[in-house]
Amino acid sequence: MRADEIEVRNPSGLHARPAALFVKTAARFTSTVTVQNVTTGAGPANAKSILAVMGSGAARGHVVRITADGPDEEQAISVLRDLFASGLGEELEA
Amino acid sequence: MTNPVRLTGIAGAPGIAIGPVWRFEAAGPAPQTAASRHGSGQRPADAIEAAAAEAARQLDSLAGRLRDLGREQESTIFDAQSMMALDPGLVADAIRRAGERGDPVEAVGAAAAAAAELLAALDDETLSARAADVRDVGARICRVLRGEVLDVPTVPSIAVCDDLPPSVTAEIPPGFLLGIALAGGSRTAHAVILARSLGIPAIVGIGGLIAAADRHSAPSLQPVSIAMDGERGEVVVDPDAPVAAEFRQREADLALRRASAAGLRDRPAATADGDRVLLVANIGTPDDAPRALAAGAEGVGLFRTEFLFMSRQTPPTETEQADAYRRVLEAFGTERPVVIRLADIGGDKAIPYLHLAPEQNPFLGVRAIRLAYADPDLLLTQLRAIWRAGAAASVVPHVMAPMVATLADVELLMSLRDRAHDTLVSTGVPVAERMVTGIMIEVPSAAFLAPELARRVDFFSIGTNDLTQYVLAADRGNAALAGLQDALHPAVLRAIAGIIAGADAAGIPVAVCGELAGDPAGALVLTGLGVDELSADAGSLDGVRAALARVTRPQLDALARSALDADDAETVRKLAAVLLGPAR
Repeated sequence: MRADEIEVRNPSGLHARPAALFVKTAARFTSTVTVQNVTTGAGPANAKSILAVMGSGAARGHVVRITADGPDEEQAISVLRDLFASGLGEELEA
Repeated sequence: MTNPVRLTGIAGAPGIAIGPVWRFEAAGPAPQTAASRHGSGQRPADAIEAAAAEAARQLDSLAGRLRDLGREQESTIFDAQSMMALDPGLVADAIRRAGERGDPVEAVGAAAAAAAELLAALDDETLSARAADVRDVGARICRVLRGEVLDVPTVPSIAVCDDLPPSVTAEIPPGFLLGIALAGGSRTAHAVILARSLGIPAIVGIGGLIAAADRHSAPSLQPVSIAMDGERGEVVVDPDAPVAAEFRQREADLALRRASAAGLRDRPAATADGDRVLLVANIGTPDDAPRALAAGAEGVGLFRTEFLFMSRQTPPTETEQADAYRRVLEAFGTERPVVIRLADIGGDKAIPYLHLAPEQNPFLGVRAIRLAYADPDLLLTQLRAIWRAGAAASVVPHVMAPMVATLADVELLMSLRDRAHDTLVSTGVPVAERMVTGIMIEVPSAAFLAPELARRVDFFSIGTNDLTQYVLAADRGNAALAGLQDALHPAVLRAIAGIIAGADAAGIPVAVCGELAGDPAGALVLTGLGVDELSADAGSLDGVRAALARVTRPQLDALARSALDADDAETVRKLAAVLLGPAR
């Protein structure tokens, strides 16, 4: 199993659009992928479910912990980490 | 046959639109019932999975169309909804709820409601607002399961029809409905109320509309376009370039006027000489709260609670209701009062779990508070939820009962309110310190009894839509009676004057929460008559605030006096138009 902790920098948190992109990407991997809101303690939730990801209530400034468990776990974590860093399709505030 | 045709109807909602016609015909294919699906031998799990996939496909195609039109922002909503339809958690929950023999429609509805509640409970406004999207997805999967087919516009269009039912309007994705032009309907038709909340124009009672639209599209079988001005009630079928340019110019003028009216939002509503009127919003769900606040609402004069009771198989729980009320109370805080209207249901609205007998004339039937004589549980649960929500939000909730007709109705209301309170207190549940309790005045008997009723309640709220329909004995939905549906009729105004006199004698405030309050002409007349509070859809508040800022108290007093003595509603509108000035 692989894991990484990342700070949410999207202005409105993991709301519908960034959550959709995150879930679509997570769903490409065979590994079980979860996301946990470390700041609030919510989760871990299935990262392939948009309702579960939005339900983690990850707002800007929260830290989320992503885990992947399975044959492509290494690649999953690295792709999802890059996706967060690139702003999940949104402009990030400096 | 290609010359533009100018038609006139009754102004419903302001705004300008030009676009292709989308014709809606009420008679659709008969919906396949859940029972007939069961008959096909399909397992609930398979039916749910197939319906979810079909719903996702529909949503993907909506998103794609919006993207093709360059409406990237709106398309992402449908992308997210498509993923919700296929959400593994949602689908698994629905399948679990349905079991081997359960009703898949009921299971999907319950699973979506549960998922929506989780999101609604999040301490984040952007995310909790997505709860409505989840419920909407659930409703779509249910429609697929029931085999209901609805042809919705595939390009942004103006709906042209006799009347547009709310269920159909809700199905049309945002951005695809540019305006509503009805051959039938009335100023208070549900489609018009919805148009106002969407900020799109609506015109009703347009004679010759359907024939003209169909005739112009017939030769080429191409959909014809129309131009409409919702403020003036004008429609042009098949506009040529000069007509289109004229409507574009009107659109630009309207945008300018709207921008200047929006500039007044941070000030309380008042006349030019400083006489204050409380300007508050009508809302239909907790999701409407941000829009009302952004429009400068000083509170909520009518929070309709029917959304909690509709489109479901079982009544909403006390906790579910308390949560919805708490969200609205918290959004408006202690400085901006929120009036929660007790459920106005029965008769014409299908609520399967209430098992109500069909009625010949539901508007004169067993509805709202009248239901509580035989079965008080529905209102008791709602009142307990409001007591709890007030405590949770640390505010004093305001409630009002609709359809009150007699002193006995008020006695029943007060006893239910106190019973709900005592039950909670005896079980140790925290409750609000008190509940400001008022009634809607919309039945003529209540208008006549205003002095006696006023001594027993904390406030009145006049529902001008129903009051007009009952005073003039003219069905709100009957286009042939459009002339009798204007709440500015002096007969209705005299009833309102009597209600205000009764309230004044007892020292209680009077609000108006009907469509008249959001109509600038109506707002001036009502303020002149002495109404303390105007409650209207968020989209109407700018126009009312701007109209009030332009007149003085002596002018409004004079307007009210002439209006009461006028011969008809037309004359009253002309009197108000003089004060509103040529800018409109």
